[in-house]
Amino acid sequence: MEEMIIDRLRAIVGPSNVTTEYEDLLCYAYDATFRESLPAVVVKPRSTEEISLIMRLANEYKIPVVPRGAGTGLSGGSVPLKGGICLVLTRLNRILSIDKENRVAVVEPGVITDDFHAVTEQMGLFYPPDPASGKTSTMGGNIAECAGGARGVKYGVTKDYVLGLEVVLPQGDVITVGNPIDGETGDYDYPLLFTGSEGTLGIITKIMVRLIPLPPYKETVLAIYDQLEAAGETVSTMIKQGVIPTTLEIADHATINAVENYLAIGLPTDAQAFLLIEVDGIKDEVVRQIAIVEETCRRFGAVSIKVARTKEEIDKLWLARRSISGACGKISPTKISEDATVPRSKIPEMIKKVREIAEKYRIKMVIFGHAGDGNLHPNVLTDKRNKEEMARVEEAVAELFQATVEMGGTLSGEHGIGYMKAPFLKWETGETGYQVMKAIKKQLDPHNILNPGKMFTD
Amino acid sequence: MSQGACDLMQRELAKCIKCGTCRSVCPVFQEVDSEALVARGKLRLVEAVLEGKLDYTPGFAERMSLCLLCKACASACPSGVKTDKVFVKMREMLVEKRGLHAVKRFVFTWLKYRRIFDWSLRFGAVFQNLFLKTAQQGTGKEARIPIPVAGLNKRRIIPPLAVRPFRSQMPEVIKVLKPRMKVAFFTGCMMNYIYPDAAHSLVNVLRKNDIEVVVPQDQQCCATPIFTSGDEQTARQLIQHNIKVFKGLSVDAIVTGCASCGLAWKKEFPEILNTRAAIREARKLSGKTFDISEFLIKNGYRQDFREVNLQVTYHDPCHLKRGQDVFKEPRELIKAIPGIVYKEMAGADQCCGSGGSFNLAYYDISRGINNRKVDNIAKSQAQVVLTGCSACRMHIADGLGQQGKPIQVWHTIQLLDMAYGEKGLEDERRENDGGDDY
Repeated sequence: MEEMIIDRLRAIVGPSNVTTEYEDLLCYAYDATFRESLPAVVVKPRSTEEISLIMRLANEYKIPVVPRGAGTGLSGGSVPLKGGICLVLTRLNRILSIDKENRVAVVEPGVITDDFHAVTEQMGLFYPPDPASGKTSTMGGNIAECAGGARGVKYGVTKDYVLGLEVVLPQGDVITVGNPIDGETGDYDYPLLFTGSEGTLGIITKIMVRLIPLPPYKETVLAIYDQLEAAGETVSTMIKQGVIPTTLEIADHATINAVENYLAIGLPTDAQAFLLIEVDGIKDEVVRQIAIVEETCRRFGAVSIKVARTKEEIDKLWLARRSISGACGKISPTKISEDATVPRSKIPEMIKKVREIAEKYRIKMVIFGHAGDGNLHPNVLTDKRNKEEMARVEEAVAELFQATVEMGGTLSGEHGIGYMKAPFLKWETGETGYQVMKAIKKQLDPHNILNPGKMFTD
Repeated sequence: MSQGACDLMQRELAKCIKCGTCRSVCPVFQEVDSEALVARGKLRLVEAVLEGKLDYTPGFAERMSLCLLCKACASACPSGVKTDKVFVKMREMLVEKRGLHAVKRFVFTWLKYRRIFDWSLRFGAVFQNLFLKTAQQGTGKEARIPIPVAGLNKRRIIPPLAVRPFRSQMPEVIKVLKPRMKVAFFTGCMMNYIYPDAAHSLVNVLRKNDIEVVVPQDQQCCATPIFTSGDEQTARQLIQHNIKVFKGLSVDAIVTGCASCGLAWKKEFPEILNTRAAIREARKLSGKTFDISEFLIKNGYRQDFREVNLQVTYHDPCHLKRGQDVFKEPRELIKAIPGIVYKEMAGADQCCGSGGSFNLAYYDISRGINNRKVDNIAKSQAQVVLTGCSACRMHIADGLGQQGKPIQVWHTIQLLDMAYGEKGLEDERRENDGGDDY
């Protein structure tokens, strides 16, 4: 990149917030996926005004700009595929206001998700989206990727909480969309358009979210099965019966073994599946629903059912679920976390399909995910250094996506499309849908400088 | 660099799935928002060096030294990457390629020669007032002029050196009337030269529990500051010397009051030694090394404490909690004392920012990290903060002093000593020459 441009960037954000040192560039070339690509420069702005100036400059010289939060994405959203400016937004990290009366909060994109949880919960308020990376991930990243989380079954995903946004558009203009009134807007529903746009339409600089009252009570059930399919049946039946769990997590045999090897917490290693089910709300209603949960688990042949009521007991049950990701890392060095999601009623069918695919392509696939919203998170455990196996993995993933779309599902339950799923997006949108998306993109970003190579392949 | 070290690094690097969890715990990253300073980024840099994509540049060396080795990332890592091991190995490689920093080279050479080291620190104790003056709060010393070689800037408050180091005040063997056990005391440098008060307390508590104490005069530095800087060779010499001194003693245990010394004896000695015989010998001694709090809980202790009316809190040294898994024991001892009001502080196990020589090289970052600690201590409303590491004690006392907080910092064992009173001690306790001026 020309020194003149670097100098102008330095003038905008201050010299200490611009780096071109190779050692730094290497560290902003990746996210939590497996591909990396070096930016030409890393820039850390502090305000909407600075970002607007940066976008004007980038637009003038047609320099790619890739917004980045904590870099925990699982579809490659913040990897600077075409180099250019890596725009790090973590310095915009203030919680600007929390309005208890109207249950609306305004935050900057660099606020860490779990920090926001802690602050709102202290006030008796609740922001439900809880991506597993919440300890590290930023609110801006969550909005851009439309993050989900374990509580999605009952509470939905990020888009269900976004009321308004301030966005710097690719040509440098600043637009405020949506409003703090929890309802209709006069214009198009732009917040929905920008939420999940993966940094391809604008840089989100302020976020207005809806909060709800913190539920006062919860109970958690861990049910263990000797058949994975039986666990799948339990899920669809339970929901048919009107139970709305907060979380409904599933893990298969390989996963259980990995966790038990790692933690030795007494999970039966011959178990074929477990379900972790949590119900929250008013105590009487929680107790009534948990009774139905227990009854359904038993009916489908759960071999063991544990109910936890105190915080310590609940934490203990969750330990198994929370340790899965790391425990899998001990099986194989590379973990490709997919989030192809199907309608809930198709869960048993999807489980069967995942197993078939794993067998067909001779790869290790484990299932652990949010069964409640149809997101099984089939995870491929492999080694990126093994080229031959990686080729089989790619074919397997393509077949998985195909099956998902055929079942009426989506390629992305919560991770986004990024570069990883861009080649398959058309399968979901169809040709017309794809062209409409491209037309919107072209209108807002005529020079295709914002996050090129993401969502769209061309 | 041995093949073994490369294999270790490669194996650990392969496990990192770049999830970024380390960003939520790294104290350095919380001060300086740069991905190149958090474990995920540093691991990527190490990988790039091993792949030949990056040279051993000064920039790389700098980023590798910006780590406290507090192990927070290692213990939070969901994939179990032994980040701290990778960084120490890479520092060794850097020393091989680039040589040791001149100041460190000078200091480590000095550390190898016990007598000179001993003499210099005593000499330093006598003449320290030329360079240092008593801080206004009376909690320690501050520099009259900046002393960059020692990493001292003017506002920093450090404790004075003891005029007579602990070990030279003690006989080799401290007998008790009816010994139920006999232990060797590995004092570590800081307890010997800077905090003899805590070392005296440790011996007193053991004596009051009918335990005979041997204080080998020939012991040397545990080598932690040396191998964490990457100078494995010098470290090995010191470790071998210490093992030679301790292996001949017929004692039931080796006891230490220093978190880093304890960790070195328990885990790092056998890892750094390179011959099978030496490793075997080190392991034998590792198995019977205990932190003083752990030792007392394991072997029982007299509970006829007198009442001590104090509100206290406890700071977990990194090398005690994450290094040795010792964190319940000191709390149990503290709470056993009648009259004590114990308040757990927020973030008790977060690093105090000292990080051995880290705070000398990067004092501003180190101070920023420490200020969070000081805030949490103040919020606990404790009158005294207890800890099991002299380096933490020094750094926290500096922070409290600079912020004008009238809170004292003691080693846990000093509270126990105080709660026992003089009971059970023959009146031969020596005057304490040094330590904090409380």
